[in-house]
Amino acid sequence: MQCSAFSSQLDDYLDGRLGNTQQRLIEGHLEHCQGCRNLHRHSVALQRALTALSAPMPHPGFVEQALSRATRPEAGAAWFRGRPLVSLALAATVMLGVAVGLFFAWQPVSAPVQSVTLTLQRPETVRVVFNSAKPLKGATLSLGLPENVELVGYGDRRELSWKTDLQQGGNLLQLPLVVRGPARDDLVANLSHGGSTKIFRLRIEVKNAGNTGM
Amino acid sequence: MAPVLPYRRTRAAVTNFEDLLRPHVEYLYQLAWRFSGSVADAEDLIQDLLVKLYPRTRELLDIELLRPWLARVLYHQYVDSVRQRTRSPIVKLVGGAEDDDDPLDTFPSMTDGPEAQAERHSLRERLLDALSRLNPEQRAVVTMHDVEGYSLEELESILETPVGTLKSRLHRARQRLRELLPMEPLSVGERVVSA
Repeated sequence: MQCSAFSSQLDDYLDGRLGNTQQRLIEGHLEHCQGCRNLHRHSVALQRALTALSAPMPHPGFVEQALSRATRPEAGAAWFRGRPLVSLALAATVMLGVAVGLFFAWQPVSAPVQSVTLTLQRPETVRVVFNSAKPLKGATLSLGLPENVELVGYGDRRELSWKTDLQQGGNLLQLPLVVRGPARDDLVANLSHGGSTKIFRLRIEVKNAGNTGM
Repeated sequence: MAPVLPYRRTRAAVTNFEDLLRPHVEYLYQLAWRFSGSVADAEDLIQDLLVKLYPRTRELLDIELLRPWLARVLYHQYVDSVRQRTRSPIVKLVGGAEDDDDPLDTFPSMTDGPEAQAERHSLRERLLDALSRLNPEQRAVVTMHDVEGYSLEELESILETPVGTLKSRLHRARQRLRELLPMEPLSVGERVVSA
């Protein structure tokens, strides 16, 4: 058996989908090919790790709340707005309050550039709260990501922009970020509406994963 | 032809719906978490799913095997939500903040020592990160086949996709995961699991 044939049949072998003859051929090849033995070992280890990946249970009360919301349309519609405020003590989550000026009620910001500390290679959600004095339809929010910082699910894209409505009061922007290396520039959020623009900068400090072996 | 009447929100309707769905919600939640890798997204997926299903309670009453049927609806909803996000770059702006649980902080209880915990922690993070780099169809097939244990034939019916296509997705997904996850942390995981 050639290595290419082994490779193309490996999944069927791992999943027990091969007949006896093919299975014997695969096992015969494994005996004398170190490269394919490594590939096989790698695949088995990956499958074991996936099988062992446990999913969390929903928080207590979630099932009843979700069922109840579903049968009461008004409660379902208010689902996103009804979530309780997040605690600052949450690990792996950064709550960053930003008061939006210009076309919003101006409130002084404690520091010109806010900063967050993220762990290298670890997806973490950064939360930015925009406080708006009035509802705003069709504001444009653009995001500029510094080098080595990725928005989870968007690969290497550095510029993102979208239209959104802001409600009066707090509006939460969730940014699932992963830092791949040192972030030399700030993350820049640009919020514009009706010809006015406000720019926010977020400095990203990076710490190593420590004992994660990275 | 009989007119199609809206499903009225009567006490009986609510009871039927809740009784039918309650045994499946935890399972669906965990599946949604495996698809999305996020507690917040899993909660949203489940809430949206239930809101959409409630008006279809009569139809649900006639479904013999409800769990695979629900898994199929959830899968389509997950894929749609990812596509929607991709079209209009992400992030939802919502009033108020969110009840958080970072999935990466939710680890199973462990009885091993700190070193083994740290290794397992690291492997879990790497696995979740690698899974997040798969496209939604690949992630779903890996999740349902390799983690949940569905056969390809079962998935053919649940995901409404031919076995050949599923095999090819699974092959590409595993290949990608191997590229993203070198052998070393996986073998550490093996050692930790078997310790």
